[in-house]
Amino acid sequence: MNRKLIISILLVLAVIIVALVVFDVLSSRPDKRPDNPYEYSVDQFKSVDSTLIKYEETIDFTFGDLDLRGLAFANDRLYLVEDNYLVICTPEGKKLAKSELPESPRCVAASSNGIYIGFSNYISQYNLDGLLIKSWEPLGDSTVLTSLALQDCFVFAADAGKRRILRYKTDGELIGSFTGKRDSADLHGFIIPSPYFDLAVNSFGELWVVNPGQHAFENYTFEGELRGFWEKAAMTIDGFSGCCNPAHMAVLPDGSFVTAEKGMVRIKIHKASGELLAVVAPPEAFEGETHAPDLAVSPAGDIYALDFERKMIRVFQLKK
Amino acid sequence: MKWLKIILFLLPLTLVFNSLDAQQRFPKPEFHTKYTQPTPTTPEPRGLEMEFVDVLILLVVLSLTSWFAIKKRSRNGILLLTVFSAIYFGFYRNGCICTVGSIQNVALAFADPKYVISLYALLFFLLPLIFSLFFGRVFCGAACPLGAIQDLLIWKPITIPAWLRKTLGFIPYLYLGLAVLYAATGTEFIICRYDPFIGIYRMNGPHLMIYLGIAFLLMGLFIARPYCRFFCPYGALLNVFSRFSRRHLSVFPTKCIQCKLCTTSCPFEAIDFPDEEKSKPDTKTNSRKFILYLALIPVLMLAGAWIGSKSHVFLSKAHPDVYLAELLISHPELKKDSKNIDIQTFLASGKSLETLVAEAQVIRDKFKTGSSILGAFLGLVIALMAMGQVIFRRREDYQANKGNCYSCARCLDYCPVE
Amino acid sequence: MDRKKFINNSGRLVLMGGLAYLTGSIIYQRKVSASGKYVWQIDPFKCTQCGRCATECVRELSAVKCVHAYSLCGYCDLCGGYFKPNTHKLNTGAESQLCPTGALTRKFVEEPFFQYTIDEKLCNGCAKCVKGCGSFGNGSLHLQIRHDLCQNCNECSISRMCPANAISRVPIETAYLIKGGFKKPVISTPK
Repeated sequence: MNRKLIISILLVLAVIIVALVVFDVLSSRPDKRPDNPYEYSVDQFKSVDSTLIKYEETIDFTFGDLDLRGLAFANDRLYLVEDNYLVICTPEGKKLAKSELPESPRCVAASSNGIYIGFSNYISQYNLDGLLIKSWEPLGDSTVLTSLALQDCFVFAADAGKRRILRYKTDGELIGSFTGKRDSADLHGFIIPSPYFDLAVNSFGELWVVNPGQHAFENYTFEGELRGFWEKAAMTIDGFSGCCNPAHMAVLPDGSFVTAEKGMVRIKIHKASGELLAVVAPPEAFEGETHAPDLAVSPAGDIYALDFERKMIRVFQLKK
Repeated sequence: MKWLKIILFLLPLTLVFNSLDAQQRFPKPEFHTKYTQPTPTTPEPRGLEMEFVDVLILLVVLSLTSWFAIKKRSRNGILLLTVFSAIYFGFYRNGCICTVGSIQNVALAFADPKYVISLYALLFFLLPLIFSLFFGRVFCGAACPLGAIQDLLIWKPITIPAWLRKTLGFIPYLYLGLAVLYAATGTEFIICRYDPFIGIYRMNGPHLMIYLGIAFLLMGLFIARPYCRFFCPYGALLNVFSRFSRRHLSVFPTKCIQCKLCTTSCPFEAIDFPDEEKSKPDTKTNSRKFILYLALIPVLMLAGAWIGSKSHVFLSKAHPDVYLAELLISHPELKKDSKNIDIQTFLASGKSLETLVAEAQVIRDKFKTGSSILGAFLGLVIALMAMGQVIFRRREDYQANKGNCYSCARCLDYCPVE
Repeated sequence: MDRKKFINNSGRLVLMGGLAYLTGSIIYQRKVSASGKYVWQIDPFKCTQCGRCATECVRELSAVKCVHAYSLCGYCDLCGGYFKPNTHKLNTGAESQLCPTGALTRKFVEEPFFQYTIDEKLCNGCAKCVKGCGSFGNGSLHLQIRHDLCQNCNECSISRMCPANAISRVPIETAYLIKGGFKKPVISTPK
């Protein structure tokens, strides 16, 4: 073969080799790398029709860097439990009292009768100044209490571990429990794929329980008989997204529900019959896909959301 | 306890905001039908138990090559071993870990207090060097899978002018220096990244690397073993070691009859010619040059170190953390680029820019030291290469150049001396 | 001739000394492990599902696969890892599946539970389902390097590109970091 031809082939090859290496080095720099071709995006569901957003964020406050656990509103006071403390403050965020708790709390409820704090498997009763009155009987190892609700003469507790609702007298006597089977043929009652299980008693004295795995709100008699339910699984704004939502809820004085979803975090208001009424905070108000905020509602209808990521309380009020 | 420490090192501080993340699925669904929950499978790693066998086989191949090259004088034996190495280390074991790449593991183990090198990687690094101190570059001859594939595909080797050969011969030292610098600073393993033949041995790989391999092999049709001669960083080490080898393949068994046949046989131009009487240089000017070059060593080393330390900022850009820190400082608007995975991941990690910059500064400081040493090393290499031009060693016979000879034994077949 | 031999011998001695120093210092600092074998693995708690495991592995079809930690799964009907976010019908139709290669299969267990299984022959490690499961479910789906496929390269080419530094060498004893058994190390915050 012609020597000149060989040399020109070799030169071309040398150029190719250098070009390949240079291209590889340059294209792998952090600002030159390609976008993710397999991106999982829920962005299309994140933008919310602004006319639906009827609330605005008015104030935020925080009490330091501890992990927050739960929040309740009663007696014109906010009762906040964080990792090993109970904090009592005004609705504007002025701290009035702080008392230490024996272990990490999980949920809280309050009324004019006192404060009830759920720990992993037992409930403790505190007076309104935050002093321990008594701790109730523990419920066993697999119990995990996730929510409490108060009615004039009863305390209801949601036990996510054993998938049941417990009913106590206000002095701590356990009266009964139910597992939410809709009829006797049902294999399962409450479906709880992750430790979120909320319940509430509205101003008409009705007990509502979230069945998160079914994306359902279920209305039970105090004895545990299903009286009615509605469910709506959807990524769109009128339903509940993901495997198990809403993660938290609260009831407004008119009986409608404030709901908070995890995953694509959003806070909405649904009528007692299920229709979407308004959006309180769209997904854009929260960072990424994360935990659902715990909720509390004042008699005036202000919504208090506990943002676990930012470790602060965010207050939403009706737009004027 | 040792692995526990390693785990702790491997899982450095991550900000944990909620322990719920670590929780076991809760509560477990209760199945009423006969359903048993499967457990995820964990297939065993392939061929890790072979590592010991690999070292053993490497030892056997090295010993046999030495024997074939020096005692038995058999090109066929070495050819057979070459084929075996290409098949075993290359196609069967898929090329990892290889001796050439092990330089980086050793460099990282030497520099990084937390990196633990496996014994096999260390032995893969040491054995060929030790053999080269006694028998020459027998590793290149038949044991190296990268060399083997090129050696088997030599078709019409052309001669390369000496000036070009010597100039290009500097690249392996540069490559070696950079590879050690990048490995020791924990940046990356560039030898592995640009290993041209691994994709071919695995018959699977990124397209770019396959093309690179094909380009090298095509080149190898006309330039014998282009990667070995003008790139291989381990070859640079072996070149130095082999110069001091105790024994070495000899072209002729008893006495050279000056027939020149061997020079046409060697595709690597690694056979030195005997000196012609008249070419003997003037001793006086030569020794003056020698002293001059000797004095040049510290000058070149200092100059190299200076250039090295000046270029450390540029060199350190190869480290992803340094690059990212620089990028975020010079282009803060990129933080809003929601498509940039690296920047978004950094922002989501909760690490502050200050921490990143501080870490990048530590890395850059390492680069400052490292690239000064690299510069001094390259200065030394240039000075010694220049000195090699004036050192005159009397040669009466055709003899293999101990530094460049791969002990492939082609010349042995050509030598007519019995 | 003697001078040549002397240079040769002393050069060899110096080089051997160098090697001995290098090896000795590595051994002295206990940085050699004779028994320890290492493999590459992904820490599922660091992974950010950037999709590069599908594109950066040296293998044509990545050695990274999605694994299912069944013990964490909620067996949900509406699975964030199985269905596209905008899906309306919860059936196994291809148009509602999130997985680009159809590697995730769904099997009815009992009302209302479904089991999700990964077909590793099809999975390309793109982590789309991992993201969906992690965002909306329990995070039971996650990526792992499958060692029957991994070439155990000297330097993992995915780790070089991983934005979260989630890939590192782990001892062979803990070759898999599967969620459930493997938990995110909790660094306690000072009280």
